[in-house]
Amino acid sequence: MPLLERLARLSALLAGALIVGVALLTCVSLIGRNTTGATLAGDFELTGVAAGAAIALFLPWCQLRRGHIIVDFFTARAGARTNALLDRFGALVLGLMLALIAWRCTVGGLSAWRNHSGTMMLNFPEWIVYALMVPPLGLAAVIAVAQFARGLGEVAE
Amino acid sequence: MSGLAVAGYVFGLMLLLMALRVPIAAAMFSAGAAGYIAQGGWAPFAGFLNTQAYARFASYDLSVIPLFILMGHFATQGGISKALFEFASAVMARFRGGLAMASVLACAAFGAICGSSVATAATITSVALPEMRRHGYSGRLATGALAAGGTLGILIPPSVPLVIYAILAEQNIAKLFAAAVIPGVLAMVGYMAAIAIYVRVVPGHAPDGDQAGAMTMRALAGVLPIAIVFLLVFGGIYGGWFTPTEGAAVGASATFVAALLKRELTWGKFRHALYATAEASAMIFLIFLGADLMNAALALTQVPAQLAAVVTAWGLPPVGVVAAILLFYVALGAVMDELSMLLLTIPIFLPLVLGLDFGMSQEMVAIWFGVMVLMTVGFGLLAPPVGLNVYVVNGMARDVPVAESYRGVMPFLATDTLRTVLLLFFPAVTLWLVKFVR
Repeated sequence: MPLLERLARLSALLAGALIVGVALLTCVSLIGRNTTGATLAGDFELTGVAAGAAIALFLPWCQLRRGHIIVDFFTARAGARTNALLDRFGALVLGLMLALIAWRCTVGGLSAWRNHSGTMMLNFPEWIVYALMVPPLGLAAVIAVAQFARGLGEVAE
Repeated sequence: MSGLAVAGYVFGLMLLLMALRVPIAAAMFSAGAAGYIAQGGWAPFAGFLNTQAYARFASYDLSVIPLFILMGHFATQGGISKALFEFASAVMARFRGGLAMASVLACAAFGAICGSSVATAATITSVALPEMRRHGYSGRLATGALAAGGTLGILIPPSVPLVIYAILAEQNIAKLFAAAVIPGVLAMVGYMAAIAIYVRVVPGHAPDGDQAGAMTMRALAGVLPIAIVFLLVFGGIYGGWFTPTEGAAVGASATFVAALLKRELTWGKFRHALYATAEASAMIFLIFLGADLMNAALALTQVPAQLAAVVTAWGLPPVGVVAAILLFYVALGAVMDELSMLLLTIPIFLPLVLGLDFGMSQEMVAIWFGVMVLMTVGFGLLAPPVGLNVYVVNGMARDVPVAESYRGVMPFLATDTLRTVLLLFFPAVTLWLVKFVR
């Protein structure tokens, strides 16, 4: 299995486990709140930050699978080669977008680290979330650029 | 350059990129970024982008989306669809065209734990299509009923597009879900009526009589998990025990446990559910980010605010304005998917609609409009040339030409139109249940 695919799979499964973990944690917190009255203070903030990391970690797999929706209405009659060429151009635009976001998230994360920004109740450090978001964003960008360079292949699950 | 001209260029660039097969998220993002930088310069743009991805991704309100998607995929992988269809057939088989009606019923029931129309259509198709073909249903009726039934997945709560609308419109998710229930049931009844009429008027598409399948314990036991999960999630949300996000978490966990108990959820299927959740969630959130850029750039031009003022000044009948917007959605739905349409247009259209006088509170107008939009984007899932649901169902019916499937959805589109017009003129039907939500 190529390296990029292996990393994308790992990233997606990690994020999936994170979301399953959030779901289970929420149940525990709910049972506590509605029975003994014991609350996990600020559990919703943990859900938010976990979701943030998970969404970014989902991106490389979506990129690899060409999961981003396109409008194929106007090019339905164009030849397969034209469309393949356009799709490579599309992958390049996506790659630049993801790279730009990864770069700006790095800047945003560094500033969150310097300012000690944290979430409202738990003061969970925001830079940790940024730090978890930047690598998968970068990976998704690399995958997109590779798709541009090599042409887009189908990746089976 | 005037704001209107900038808005025109930004929109034009976005449409051009989309037409060239650039993914919708990237087309919105690029055009929005260009418009933002042209008006505000690089530094404010860069500053906006420093925090925007974090703000969008790490949001408690939005985390409801991956959770509902995960719940839907656990349901899809959990092997409940077979028993569900058996149950629906036992209920409906006494009627002519009963198996097609059972498919619609099964879609509606599955839609009660799955918030995606494509997933609903695909899941029920996998069990219902072979049965219908085996009993002599035509490919046209079978695929048409399943594609239409799939749209119940987003009409009957939970619904991922409705969650996205609620977030965009800053409305209560629980109230929007409640508002979608009656339209969802009306849709189901309408689809069944369409089948009953179609099999009588156009002969040769359904057998004269289906053998009434007996209601077995197995079939009953099959719907039990769905009923329990649905009651748990929505009972909890409406009983005030938990928020919609918590409800989604409970639903995902409960569906996971139900699938485990059925001994259907292998490690492979579990992984499949995670991969599918990853793909769908990442796709949605990247469109979110693209639409953010687009809307930020358009807001700088002040065109949306001006547009709202202009339309209000025209003094058109409010219902006429909404009807025009809905027609626009039908047209746009021919080329675009429902989520991109919502994310792109709601920030522009909602202020416009809220500026009109319907004799209702703004909250009620926003809720009613959301359900109307949700139904209208459903047209795009069925109607040619795109009709994503038709593609998905037809793709699973190898022997049915796609033109037959498009013909098959026509009766259902007719009932969709009837229902939409009815609910357009009688908002009270949609809003009746909302009154009971605290």
